This record gives sequence, structure tokens and C-alpha cells, in this order.
Amino acid sequence: MGVVILLVMAVGVAAMLTRKLPTAFALVLLAVVIAFLAGAPLTGKESVLDTVLQEGASALAATMIAILLGSWLGKLLEETGIAGTLVRKIVEFGGDRPVFVALGVLAVSALVGTVTGSAPAAMLAGLIGIPAMIAVGIPKVTAAGTVLMGIAVGVPFELPVWQFFSTALDLPIGTVRGFMVKLFPFALVAAVAYVLVESRRRGVEHTWPLKAARTRPSRADRRRRLGDAPWYALLTPAVPLVLALGLDVAIIPSLLGGVLYALVTTTRPREMNRRLLRTLYGGFEVAAPPIALFVAIGILLAAVKLPGAVDALQPLVKAVSPQNTVLFILVFTLLVPLCLFRGPLNVFGLGAGIAGVLVATGIYPAVAVLGMTASYNQVFGVSDPTSTQTVWSAQYAGVSPHQVMVRTLPYVWAVAFGGLCVTAFTEL
Amino acid sequence: MNDDHDLDLAVRLLAGTPTHEGRDPALLGQWARTASEFGRRMTVRHQTVRVVERDGGLEAGLFARYRSRPPVVEVYADTVARAERLVAERGWRHWFPEGSVRAAALAHEQAHAWLHHAPVRAEFKRALGHTALRLGRRRLYAYVAGADEIAAHAYAQTACGLGRSPLLLTEALAAAVSFESEN
Repeated sequence: MGVVILLVMAVGVAAMLTRKLPTAFALVLLAVVIAFLAGAPLTGKESVLDTVLQEGASALAATMIAILLGSWLGKLLEETGIAGTLVRKIVEFGGDRPVFVALGVLAVSALVGTVTGSAPAAMLAGLIGIPAMIAVGIPKVTAAGTVLMGIAVGVPFELPVWQFFSTALDLPIGTVRGFMVKLFPFALVAAVAYVLVESRRRGVEHTWPLKAARTRPSRADRRRRLGDAPWYALLTPAVPLVLALGLDVAIIPSLLGGVLYALVTTTRPREMNRRLLRTLYGGFEVAAPPIALFVAIGILLAAVKLPGAVDALQPLVKAVSPQNTVLFILVFTLLVPLCLFRGPLNVFGLGAGIAGVLVATGIYPAVAVLGMTASYNQVFGVSDPTSTQTVWSAQYAGVSPHQVMVRTLPYVWAVAFGGLCVTAFTEL
Repeated sequence: MNDDHDLDLAVRLLAGTPTHEGRDPALLGQWARTASEFGRRMTVRHQTVRVVERDGGLEAGLFARYRSRPPVVEVYADTVARAERLVAERGWRHWFPEGSVRAAALAHEQAHAWLHHAPVRAEFKRALGHTALRLGRRRLYAYVAGADEIAAHAYAQTACGLGRSPLLLTEALAAAVSFESEN
């Protein structure tokens, strides 16, 4: 039966790769089929309807709330001009040194990446950051990659991601945080190396574009526009991080702390209610796609954790899973490309199910699976040409997502290798 | 009158450049004027740069591109040819003599290369006078995104003896190409 389940998973991957089915729908369908194959009854204990669909759908509820709060904070950063001001200041200070501007945008992207993820994070940093980098002479592919690599620097500190790994792998937040702190230096070094090496290799680029000038600026425009955010408001992205990392505050109150700080430092009291509601509703819109995905992942995790599925998969997975430290690093580093193109190791897809299998069957300790999936997440978040942030950044810069993948993959592959080394030497 | 229109085009270019969203049009006008003057006064020391002719500029929306590593200027022959035809159609030959579009494209990119030299950059920032930070009597001048584009166009206009700014040509050709692709 284990082989049949693996074949069904392969069909699911094919459906996602060929875009026959959206990832979330494919995962739910997979979960239901796996549950039936595992011999689960329709209703009752360990059943398809009650366990897989009912309990699974809400299993990652804390992650969904964290995603929503992150999206809310992201909307506030956008509406209050905090993200825009950060980029504008960087360009003004270092615009004649393109590398300086790229490093600055990288830093802003990293801050944004700690708050929210996916395309909204790329937009927050990239809407001004990408054209600003191109305007100072950074080549387009390098500019798009800089925003993505920057977000990936922030990902180890993205609180909703901590919540996701904690719930999905049943680990305490402190354990997740401990590994993320170790992963962060790899992401940081790779991102800075990307900017420095690519800037040196590609130099600067200027074009005489065939572009009509925009309409005449008017004073009415200025009245409509929000001014620069005050300097103390620019600290907003650091607030949730300081609360969660420095003061050990739980994730949801930490994110709420960020929302409140952004609000009180940028908004007049009489406008607060309206702004809070407007950005909250905007946050729902931004958070809808990841929340749908997390509902589906919760369902898939519930299915692969059913006793029948565990019994069927354990011997097979155990036979192919390397136990030796060096082999573990080697095999899982070579498998990195499988998390691209919505592949089977994509953490926000079938990869979550595979992680669930590895934990449920006891093949690796949960913390080792955390190390593996978090390392893969660093690759997926930057180089996957089907992930929304990569597609958005590439297209906004005027290049193809595949160009960005080719340029960034060596750097994030190195990050994954680093993360897998840490995992193998400390957690296996 | 023509100078005013050229300046207006420069202001609109700045207004469309990221980081200037909603800036005071008067300030943008001041920067556009200063950048144009700076470009006109520039004495560019020509470097040995390989020049490559390419096609596909109309599709990519480019007249020319400068890359510093290795130093190369790519001139898009199809865009240049279409621009020359447009000059003839509009009766602008007295402003843009035969062959001047290619020359302007080369001069524009050479100006960009020149503006990357540290002393030139510093002088340009001082001329624009936008302050990023003030500590007592010390001032740190800010970079003005888009100003180097205006300076490069002004330099190309002066160096090639054009009657109008190449920005006029950019605007007209962008409109013509967009109209053709829509019909």
C-alpha cells in the first residue's frame, strides 16, 4: 500500500507541476485519497471526514492568524509610507553607488521579510526598490534577485513561519527559533555575497528607454500623497522581532505589537479606527492565498499521520532515508531542485506532507525535519520560478522568472547546504 | 518655447522616477533645469567602448544600452531606424539631422559612463543641491534619481548639435509605437 500512496503523491505532484490543479486543491484531493488508501473509515476516530477534513483544516489555525497579522502589518507599512520612506532614504544617501543602494534595498527587504512573506513582501520592498535600483544602474536580474535574497534573509525571523513549523512538526517555538537563529547567518552571507559578486560581475547598466514621460505632476498629487514616515516609525519592522526574539513574547501578541507601533507612530488619533479597519481588510485580501494553502497543508498532514498511512509508508521511507551524517547532507543537498517548480520537496506543498511522514514514522527527529524543511524553504522562497514573489519581482523588473532562478540558485543552494550541515551535525 | 517644452518633458521624466512620487513640481523643475545645464556643460572624456548594433529594440522598448562590464554600448538599429523615419514624417529634420539619432544614442550612453566617475558624481550632486543630511555647517548631498538621465540627454543634445532634446524624440516615438501596436 505504501507504494500506491507514493504513486498517488507522484500523480499529485504531476497535477501541480502541469497546473492541472491549483496546489491547495491538489493537496486536499491527495489527502482524501491517501486517507482512503490507508484504510481510514468515513467517520469516527482516525476517519476521513472527522480527522482529516474537520481537524486537519483547522490544525494550522495559529499559523493562519499569524499570516493574517503579518499581512495586516504589511498593509500598514505600505499605507503609512514606512517601506517607501526606507527605500527613498537609501537611494538618496547612496544612489551614486549602486552597490550601496542594492545593499540598502537588501536590508529593507530583509526587514519586510521578517513581517510578511510571498508576493506582498516582494511588493513592499520592490515597488520602489526595484525601479530605484534599475535607475541607479543595477542590472534588472540583479535588482529582482536582490529583493528576493533580502526577503530570504528575513525569513528565518518571519514569525508566521516559526508558527507554521512549530504547529506542523509539533515542536516548541523555542526549538524552531533556535534553529532559525543558526540558519540566519547562512542566508545573510549568501545574500550579501549575491549583491557584491553579481554587482562586480555585471557592473552597471544604463538604458535610453523608449518610454513616454508620465503626465505632468500637480500639486493635487502632492496633497493626495502621504508624506515620509517619521524616523521612529521606520523601526516598525523590528518591533515584532524584538518582542518575540528578545523578550520571548508569543508570536501573535508580537505581531499585534508591531501593528500598534506602526499605527501610533504614523496616524492621528481620529484617523486610527478607519486606518486599522481598512488595512485589516486589505490584509485579509493579501492573506487569502496562503491561508487557503495552510488549510490544505493541515488536511494533508492529518492524512499522512493516520496510523494506516504511517504503517504503510514507514518501511519504504526508512529504506531510502540516509542515516549517516555525510550521506544525509549529500543526498538532501542534491535533492534541492525538487523544491522548485512546486516539486515534491516544496515546503508549502507536498513537502509538508513528506515532512509529516518523516516525523510520524519516526525516521528522523522532528527537529532534523525542521532543519531540512527550513533549509529548503530558503531555496523555494528565492529561486522557484512558480512562487508568487519570484514571478512578481522578475516581471516587475522586466525579466523572466527563469533568469532570476538561474542567477540566484547557486547562492540559495549554498544556504540549503549550510542549513543541512547544521541539521546533520547538531540534530541527527 | 521649445526650451520650455523640453524642460517640461524633463520634469515629467523626474516625476515618473521612483522616489519622486508626489514631490513638489517646482523642486522637480529646479532639478531638471540644473541637470540639463550640467549635462550641456559636461566635457566627456571618451573611453574606448565597444559599440554593438542590435535588433529587437522596439520590442524591448530601448534605443540603446550601456553596460560597464565589459564596457559596451548596444545601439538598437531598429529603434534608431524607426526614429529616423518618425523625424522625417514629423518634419523635424532641422532639429534632428540625418544620422543624428544614432549619434545621440552613443553620446547618451557615453554620458552615463562619464557620470559614474566619482569626482563627476560629487560635482553633479553639489550642483543639484539636494541635502540628505546636515550636521552643523556640513552637508551631505543626496542623490537625485533620474537626474543623470536628464543630464545624459542634455549632453547628447549639445554634443550632436540637436535643435531639441532627445526626450522629445523618446516621447513621440513611444506614442507612435504604442499607437501602432494597438491598431
